[in-house]
Amino acid sequence: IHHIVQNGGLYKKPFNEAFEETPMLVAVLTYVGYGVLTLFGYLRDFLRQWKIEKCQNATEREEQKDFVPLYQDFENFYNRNLYMRIRDSWNRPICSVPGAKVDVIERVSHDYNWTFTYTGRVIKDVINMGSYNYLGFAQNNGACQEAAAEVLSQYGAGVCSTRQEMGNLDKHEELEKLVARFLGVESAMTYGMGFATNSMNIPALVGKGCLILSDELNHASLVLGARLSGATIRIFKHNNMQSLEKLLKDAIVHGQPRTRRPWKKILILVEGIYSMEGSIVRLPEVIALKKKYKSYLYLDEAHSIGALGPTGRGVVEYFGLNPEDVDVLMGTFTKSFGAAGGYIGGKKELIDYLRTHSHSAVYATSLSPPVVQQIITSMKCIMGEDGTTLGKACVQQLAENTRYFRRRLKEMGFIIYGNEDSPVVPLMLYMPAKIGAFGREMLKRNIGVVVVGFPATPIIESRARFCLSAAHTKEILDTALKEISEVGDLLQLKYSRHRLVPLLDRPFDETTYEETED
Amino acid sequence: MNVGVAHSEVNPNTRVMSSRGMWLSYALGVGLLHVVLLSVPFVSVPVAWTLTNVIHNLGMYVFLHAVKGTPFETPDQGKARLLTHWEQLDYGVQFTSSRKFFTISPIILYFLASFYTKYDPTHFILNTTSLLTVLIPKLPQLHGVRIFGINKY
Repeated sequence: IHHIVQNGGLYKKPFNEAFEETPMLVAVLTYVGYGVLTLFGYLRDFLRQWKIEKCQNATEREEQKDFVPLYQDFENFYNRNLYMRIRDSWNRPICSVPGAKVDVIERVSHDYNWTFTYTGRVIKDVINMGSYNYLGFAQNNGACQEAAAEVLSQYGAGVCSTRQEMGNLDKHEELEKLVARFLGVESAMTYGMGFATNSMNIPALVGKGCLILSDELNHASLVLGARLSGATIRIFKHNNMQSLEKLLKDAIVHGQPRTRRPWKKILILVEGIYSMEGSIVRLPEVIALKKKYKSYLYLDEAHSIGALGPTGRGVVEYFGLNPEDVDVLMGTFTKSFGAAGGYIGGKKELIDYLRTHSHSAVYATSLSPPVVQQIITSMKCIMGEDGTTLGKACVQQLAENTRYFRRRLKEMGFIIYGNEDSPVVPLMLYMPAKIGAFGREMLKRNIGVVVVGFPATPIIESRARFCLSAAHTKEILDTALKEISEVGDLLQLKYSRHRLVPLLDRPFDETTYEETED
Repeated sequence: MNVGVAHSEVNPNTRVMSSRGMWLSYALGVGLLHVVLLSVPFVSVPVAWTLTNVIHNLGMYVFLHAVKGTPFETPDQGKARLLTHWEQLDYGVQFTSSRKFFTISPIILYFLASFYTKYDPTHFILNTTSLLTVLIPKLPQLHGVRIFGINKY
C-alpha cells in the first residue's frame, strides 16, 4: 500500500516515509529498563562514595575537597552508570581501509569496560554497515588513489595557509569549477572541514535581526552555526510542512519579538537526508513555501549528495527540481566522495561574498591537495567524464541495494524508520540493554554496526543505524540480512505490526515547548 | 552518544515525562508498589495504603523536587544545573498536561488512602503532611524558590 502525496502535482513519484510508533508494551518496558538502571546507578554511586566499591572515575584530589567543586557529579551519572556498561560498542579501533569490509582490532575488558586490553588478534573482514561509504570510494587502490598519490608527490601533503593568503592552489580553482558544474549552479566554494562549512558560513549569511527556521532534527553543525550567528532561531517539527508554514506566517505577520519590525532575512535550514531518521526532506513543498513567503533556503546535502538521484546529483535531482531554486546548496565530500571537506554552491554574488566574509576562508587552512585530487577524480567518475560507466553503475547499485535491504528488513518484521529511498536505515531497538546486546552480537557474527541510544535520540527511540554502500554486493547484503534476522529472533526485535501508518502520522500538535532566549 | 548529536533538543529531560507510555508506566509502578506492600502478611490494608502514599510521595519528592540538574551534559552551558526536574519540565511552562497529571496523581492517591484508612486521625495526619510536601513545591509561585537556601547549589 503506497501513499502517494500528490500535492498539486509537486511530487513526480511516490514519497513513502514511515515512522511506525513505538508499541506501548515496548515503551513501558523501556522505561522499566531505564528505571532499573537509574536505581542501580544510585546504589553504585552510594557504594563508591562510601568507599565500599573502588571508584574508577576521575575524582578531585583530597586537598581540594573543601574548594568549590570543579565538576558536577550528577552530570556524569549517565556516563558512568549507563554508557560505561555498553561502551565496547563504540570507538572500536580498525586497522584497514573501511570499505565494504573492515578489519577490527579485538579488545576485551576485564573490569566491565572501564579499561580495555588488546588481545593481539584482529577480526578480519567484518562487514562494514557503519561507514558513510555510499558510493564505495573508500578504497586504497584504483584510479582515485593513483591520481591522489601523484598529486601528493607533486604538491605535497599540506597547504599550510588559508585560502585568502597563500593557500589558493590551481587545484582548488579546478575543483570549484567542477563542483559548480556537478551541482548545476553558477559557482561553488570548498572548505577543509564539513562541520566547519556549516558552523562558519551560517554566521556569514545571517546575523542579528534575521530569523532562522530550522528543522527539529538538524545536525549539530547547523545548530552551532545558527547559534553563532546571533539570529533568532525557531524550530519546526521534523519534515512537517504545516508547522513550517505556520512559523513563516507568524514571523511575517508579527515581525521581530518586541519591536515588531520586519525580519531582515528569513532562512530555512533543512538537510537532504537526516542521518538519524533516514528521512528525506520534502523539498518540493519547502521550495513552494519559500517562494510564497519570500524566504531563503539553505539545504545541507551532507548525506544525500552522490547518494540520491538517477545520476547522483543529490536530493534536488531526486525530486526533479531546479538547483537554482535553492539559494544555498551545501554539502560535504566526506560521505559519497571518500574524501574530506565541504562545499557551498549558489549564485556567483553569494559565493564571491562568502570568499571574503566567511570565517573558514579567512582563518582556516584550505583543503589538502591529495584530498582535492580524490574529490576531482571521484566526481569525474560519478559524472562519467573519466570514460567509464563506473560512476553510473555505483549510483544504480546503491539504489538497488537500498530498495532490496529495506524491503527485506520490513518483510522480516523489524521497525524501520525513514524514506524508502534513503541509504540510511535505522532499525529500532528501544530498550537500553538491547543497544549493547545488538552491537556485541553483531560483532560476534562479523558485522559492524552503529547503535545509538538516549540521550542522543529520544528516550524511547534507540536504534541501530545501517549505512548502505555501493561496495556491498548482494551476497554481502544477504549474509548481513541473515545475521540480522538471527539476532532479531534472539533479542526479539521484530516488533512491527505491519500497520503502514499514513504519512501524517506524526500529528501536528501545538504542545511542544522550546527554550526561548530573550 | 551525547545530547545534541542527532537532534536540536537542548535538554531531553524536558520531554521525558510527556513521552509515549510514561504515564502508564508510572501508574503501573505505583500499582506494583501497592501490591507488593499488600502482600506483606503483617501489614493491614489501611497501613498498606498509607505506606504506599508516603513512599510514593517520598520518591516523587526526591526525584522531582530534590535532585537538580541533568544526568548528562547538555549543550546549553548548564542552564538547568540548578533546576530540579519539575522546574525543567517543558522548559518552565506552567500548566502543561504532564504537570497537571503529576499534580493530580498524588491527590488521587490521597483520596484512596483516606478512604481505605477510614479517616483515622493518625493516618490522616501522616497522609496530609506527605501530600503537602509533594504538592507545595509544584505551585507555580514556588518555581525556582529555595526556602532558607536549602538545596540552592
